[in-house]
Amino acid sequence: MTEKKLLEDLTPEIESTGLKWYLTFAAFFIVFCVGIYGLIQQIDKGHIVTGMRDNVVWGLYIVNFIFFMGLSYAGALISGVLHLFHTGWRKSVIRLAELITVISLVIGPFFIFFCIGRLDRLPFLVMYPRIQSPITWDVIAISTDLIGCFMFLYLSFIEDFAILRDYRELNVPPWKHKLYKALSLGYTGNEKQKKILKDAKNVMAAMIIAIAIIVYSVLAWIFGVTLQPGWHSTIFGPYFVIAAVFSGTGLLIILMWIFRKIYHLEEYITKRHFVNVGVLLTIIAAFYGYFTFSDYLTKWYGSIKMDSLLIDKLFSDYYSLFIFANYVGILIPCIIIAFPKFRTIPNITIAAVIAVTALWVNRYIIVIPTLETPFLPIQDIRPAWIKYSPTWVEWSLTFAGISVYGMLFMLVSKIAPIISISEMKEKDQIEILK
Amino acid sequence: MKTLISRTLILLSLLTIASFYSFSQESTKISPYVQLQYFKDNNDNSSLKTTLTYSKNRMEIPLEGMKIIFYSGNEKKNKIAEAVTDEKGVAVCDLKEKSDFSSDATGQWSFSTDFEGNDTIESGSAELSIRDVILKMDLAEVDSVKTITLNAEKIENGIEVPASGEMLTVYVPRMFSLLPIGDVTLDDSGNGSLEFPADLPGDNEGNINIIARFEEHPEFGNVEKTATLKWGVPSSYTVPKGHRALWTKVAPLWMIYTLSILLTGVWGHYLFALISLIRIRRNAKKDESSDLRNI
Repeated sequence: MTEKKLLEDLTPEIESTGLKWYLTFAAFFIVFCVGIYGLIQQIDKGHIVTGMRDNVVWGLYIVNFIFFMGLSYAGALISGVLHLFHTGWRKSVIRLAELITVISLVIGPFFIFFCIGRLDRLPFLVMYPRIQSPITWDVIAISTDLIGCFMFLYLSFIEDFAILRDYRELNVPPWKHKLYKALSLGYTGNEKQKKILKDAKNVMAAMIIAIAIIVYSVLAWIFGVTLQPGWHSTIFGPYFVIAAVFSGTGLLIILMWIFRKIYHLEEYITKRHFVNVGVLLTIIAAFYGYFTFSDYLTKWYGSIKMDSLLIDKLFSDYYSLFIFANYVGILIPCIIIAFPKFRTIPNITIAAVIAVTALWVNRYIIVIPTLETPFLPIQDIRPAWIKYSPTWVEWSLTFAGISVYGMLFMLVSKIAPIISISEMKEKDQIEILK
Repeated sequence: MKTLISRTLILLSLLTIASFYSFSQESTKISPYVQLQYFKDNNDNSSLKTTLTYSKNRMEIPLEGMKIIFYSGNEKKNKIAEAVTDEKGVAVCDLKEKSDFSSDATGQWSFSTDFEGNDTIESGSAELSIRDVILKMDLAEVDSVKTITLNAEKIENGIEVPASGEMLTVYVPRMFSLLPIGDVTLDDSGNGSLEFPADLPGDNEGNINIIARFEEHPEFGNVEKTATLKWGVPSSYTVPKGHRALWTKVAPLWMIYTLSILLTGVWGHYLFALISLIRIRRNAKKDESSDLRNI
């Protein structure tokens, strides 16, 4: 497989855009517009149009925030680890992982903005920061992570921009040529440039792994440092990190399936990739299951009044969701991938869909039931204040977030190949040397 | 791709139906909820409070600017006041100067409230029967024990009768809400007592506010007595200037050191990556200029 073949296979999607692409993009855009309409309603009428009330002050928005941030950190961990360990099969999927990182990190924080009642007070976080506050840690951590992940993504794109810049047969508008020229920084691939770039990528790969762990732990500590039942747990940091990697690995499989299907990348994303990422998903599922069991067992056995109330609620009001998130979502992917005869590409993708959905539900049952189990006795209580159910405004913004996710992936795939040409070329050279 | 498009269309349809459904509720006439309450404060001033709300999407929404009429009497209603609801849907009628209420055979007052309704809101009303009660609170140290003694006598046929068997709750206001410190059940002579805790923090002089209440009592309504005295533990809430703690303005030093080390480490590596990009660009320019020289 030569560079020429790689370019011939991977650049058509950059050169031309079909009707299906436009239709899909339009569908995403309409969903996005519905979300914007919901947002206008919320800004106009206030948070009363959401299901959030005095008790349950966090709803779908925070669930989505944690979920998207988890996907992001998982992408960073996966791409960083695959890069540092020079995993041979990584080359076809590493860019997807990098894109998951950055796109999730761009979308996630918007859900925090939707959740804030007084957005005009947002600058106070920067104007009057309190280092003691986990919220301040989170603001610093997310902004630092966002910049780091952008830098890592850009570093991994430079070689491809240079290849696209030098590909004379590339039939794209002049602005794209100019873009490739500017973004490639004049990279020619001489030995010195290669070494500089390799060192920078290695440093940033190690850095984003560390940052991803720290940042997601900080997010977990926002919950863990409170005394709320279900949140006040010493293992919340690592538990969140494992859960994030679980969901991110699942999403990686789903995106592999989508792009393989749409862009006809069967030659590049093979069954081997699905099986390898699937096995990774199974291993992480086992760890995630262990953490979940450990967390709930400790709470259940301790029989602290509020913890017992929460667990009773999880096994009554939230029974179906709890079973789906913590049994079905862990066991089914494990069973599908653990047995070789079940390991087909569609089966592994289904396992990934179950894992990702279960993780979202897991976030829901971490956030909501705890807020529905308040410590303080509340006077003049009304059922609507203590029982949360999301409204259409919250759902519309949730789906808008997903649609923006899809749109950004579609747009990026029109700027640069979804599979790294430089990485694949490097792989080719290594295989020739072998 | 077809599946993706069809699923997206289904999703859009569902969202649209949900939106229309939420708007369709606007056209129905509002059925209000009218609540009438009686209050008697520490100075024996009585008032009636009407709350006018309606329920929408599981929320209780106040009706502001609505005319409420207050009546006394049961069979023959006498209009005693009119008031307009505020932004909380509350209209208040002060009974201080309106003491000539007709009572029934047992001495109970009857009150009612009416909302006439309008084009968009249905009418509503509520009724309430109240028996006047005289509540007294005495605070004294008995054998070095801080003791709250309560006495309540209800008016029956113009005579004061002990409110035996009735229960009051005693509170102390704290930062966010009232802290219940105990319930008192009155004996046959209408008396009851409660030991006050010795370890409750007061202000810097030990002042503490004590509230004894009949709350939403079916016969007496809401009646309270309050008193302030130095029964609390004097507590100083001033923090020494520059004290480093989680709750003060300045953070503990270890936090500042940890954060600084972490951020310096991370941003140092970012700087390295940025310098690498600059070095790549410079190297490329150098190559370009040497190529030009060769030409």
